[in-house]
Amino acid sequence: MIEIKRTIKYETDRVKGFGREVMSVPGCEQLEQCIQCGTCSGVCPLSIYMDHSPRQVMALTRSDFKREVLSSVTIWLCASCYACAAECPRHIRITDIMYELKQRAIQEGVYPRRFPIPVLAREFTRMAQHWGRITESLLVLRLLWRTNWLEAFGMWRLGLGLWRTGRFSLRHESIRQRADLTRMMASVDDVVIGALPPPAANHRRGAR
Amino acid sequence: MKRNGEPEIRVGFYVCHCGHNIANTVDCAAVARYAATLPGVALARDYKYMCSDPGQELLRQDIQEHRLNRIIVASCSPLLHEHTFREATRKGGLNPFFFHMVNIREHAAWVHTDRREATAKAQALVHAAVRRVAHHQALQTKRAPIHPAVLVVGGGIAGIHAALTLADAGKQVFLVEREPSLGGHMARFDKTFPTLDCAACILTPKMSRVGSHPHITLWTYAEVAKVEGYVGNYEVTVRHKPRYVDASRCVGCQDCIKACIYKEPKFPDTFNAGLSKRKPVYLPFPQATPQVVVIDPETCIQVKTGKCKQTCLEACVDRRAIDFTQRETLERVTVGAIIVATGFKTFDASRAPAYGYGVYPNVYTALEVERLVNASGPTGGAIVLRDGRQPERVGIIHCVGSRDEKTNRWCSRVCCMYALKLAHLIKERTGAEVFNFYIDLRTPGKGYDEFYGQLLEEGVQFIRGRVGEVTDWAFMPEEEGHLVIRVEDTLAGYVRRIPVDMVVLAVGLEPQADAQAVRRLFNMSCGGEGFFLERHPKLAPVNTFTEGVFLAGCCQGPKDIPDTVAQAGAAAAEALVLLDRGYLEQEPNTAFVLEDCSGCKSCLPLCPYRAITIAPETERAVINEALCKGCGTCVASCPSGSIGQNLFTDQELFSEIEGLLAPAAAT
Repeated sequence: MIEIKRTIKYETDRVKGFGREVMSVPGCEQLEQCIQCGTCSGVCPLSIYMDHSPRQVMALTRSDFKREVLSSVTIWLCASCYACAAECPRHIRITDIMYELKQRAIQEGVYPRRFPIPVLAREFTRMAQHWGRITESLLVLRLLWRTNWLEAFGMWRLGLGLWRTGRFSLRHESIRQRADLTRMMASVDDVVIGALPPPAANHRRGAR
Repeated sequence: MKRNGEPEIRVGFYVCHCGHNIANTVDCAAVARYAATLPGVALARDYKYMCSDPGQELLRQDIQEHRLNRIIVASCSPLLHEHTFREATRKGGLNPFFFHMVNIREHAAWVHTDRREATAKAQALVHAAVRRVAHHQALQTKRAPIHPAVLVVGGGIAGIHAALTLADAGKQVFLVEREPSLGGHMARFDKTFPTLDCAACILTPKMSRVGSHPHITLWTYAEVAKVEGYVGNYEVTVRHKPRYVDASRCVGCQDCIKACIYKEPKFPDTFNAGLSKRKPVYLPFPQATPQVVVIDPETCIQVKTGKCKQTCLEACVDRRAIDFTQRETLERVTVGAIIVATGFKTFDASRAPAYGYGVYPNVYTALEVERLVNASGPTGGAIVLRDGRQPERVGIIHCVGSRDEKTNRWCSRVCCMYALKLAHLIKERTGAEVFNFYIDLRTPGKGYDEFYGQLLEEGVQFIRGRVGEVTDWAFMPEEEGHLVIRVEDTLAGYVRRIPVDMVVLAVGLEPQADAQAVRRLFNMSCGGEGFFLERHPKLAPVNTFTEGVFLAGCCQGPKDIPDTVAQAGAAAAEALVLLDRGYLEQEPNTAFVLEDCSGCKSCLPLCPYRAITIAPETERAVINEALCKGCGTCVASCPSGSIGQNLFTDQELFSEIEGLLAPAAAT
């Protein structure tokens, strides 16, 4: 049986001003100049897995289709290789726009909860800000716990190999003056660790 | 205001609203009221359009009714309407040089936002003019003759067409071409879009007409070295490069080429884009005009070392056309006008590394394919790859070096159409599957879009997407041994990998590498992209900012053959206007030497027009009025202040400054 869906977009599907807002962020202004040539998708090594190609994400952003863009898997697949930005004939910093969209997706709480990329990013920053260093074994365990912990069983051989070659330390890494780090981070860009969106709450909401 | 022995100064002052252009920012009524308070002003009016017929009529009547003897109009730039108002002043019975114009549009209204300050500035400018105009003298314009010959620089289709048009009108034309033959880029094409007529068939008749025209002096293998003088009287020095062949004796029999010490052609043939080889002595191409061989100094053993058996000389013993003693020579000609038609160069495809030009042998530029398709080309018209195979799948990539901020920002205009032409020819000759990868297809022109329709019917594939990369890295079995084009098919919405045998890069058009040097030579301007700048993009498209220098063809910007020919005709017509009028009306703003010249001669080398000489009897400087262009350099440089200039006398300038600096008026 063929499933038939309505794919038309009405004016009410747009969140007017979204595109303007993104394009007003420093580094994203050049999006105004996009000619939809598709070079970004042509060079993107991951475009073959994306639901919307990078070019389509640019078009959707400029046309204010906020929900479609922020829920797209594309922004999370972006591996930040910058090939698109390097090749773009209009000097659009596509990778930076992807970052901007990722941030907005997190702020709006619409990102895919158990998708490894945002989870890894969040766990990484938390660990770095709290301990000053990354304990990779712990990071991987946390990542697996918050995404799909069943995968851990399939990965034990890889883990063992990494541990044997010394790439995977079981020692807990930390700096000595963590209080200084906290103060430094706070003064650098007004980021107080407590002010970050509560990840645990997010996680619970997403898990439901 | 009254001066000793002279009639009372009665200034008529007019301020123009220029619709909203001036009136929106400058309070014109206030300017007129202010002017009325100034000494010597007998009448001050504001008017909506002074340049209109009623405006000019008003001026004319006022001169008679109010016995005005000086006129000031505060309006737009003198470039636009100085002539109009001088003429109106003359019709009113005054010498036209009793008129003075104040530019309050470009200098006040258009550059300010604050109405009060803009009005104050306009008033200051008006005050300056009122002070200055009292010192104006009656002057007469002079006429300078125009030399009835034209120099055409560049022997491509633009230069050829302009030269023939002028020569057919009976004018003497000097055509200078840098290469050994006429023809330019067009001679290298196979067919021309959209009608597919053979480029050689339509070009070579014109080339041979140039070669044999009684009014055209054709100098190939020559360059313009120096340009002096001014409109109507340009002194041009042309440098003839040595071709080591006496053009008057060579008949193009090519026996020397057969006899050359190199038995096989060994050096890349530039005419065939390096796809074939030639000997040090060669004829550029079969229809070359003139039919004279050239000896390449870079590769000829005799020219390089002087130790060759000179078998070519032996072959040419009857005609004795080969002459290794030839040296560079200079020649001077006088012309009234110059047409610059120096053409373009194609984009260097290796600057777009993602497409693999120079890395993969089967990536070609369009100009190379143009030679491959051509019957007189390196393969005799067979479209084959470098290994001799015929391609079964061909990808044509549009916009290489065009519409790209990283290389050239502009659209090169001709690539879409020539890519379609090549697609058609490749499909017709090889039956290959042809893919066009484009950003936007631009086919505006007579019969152009119909040609696109024809290609769709022929089954040529069009994929809307700018190619990401060309690679030989195969992922799939069918990709083995092929080049793979990775592109997003933006209309279908998929990223695709398309294996092909041959990639054709539709390279864009660029200014010539030496465009800046040529620009300086002819005292022209360049746009930001480096093409020569026309005086006005719409209303003076073939004029430059230098009088008597005109533009034709791609040196002004990318254009196709029909547009080039049209522009060349327009440039020829503009040159004819000058030549047929026969004289030039010159501003009377010439410099003159005062009594107290000490004859120090410091002004002599400074004059760009060589208008100053020293009179032997008085040992004082004398300025030739016919040659002086009123640049003012000698006036400023004279150590004893002994040179004055009409329309810019010390009295006029100092009064103007005093007026400008006078206390501002209350509005």
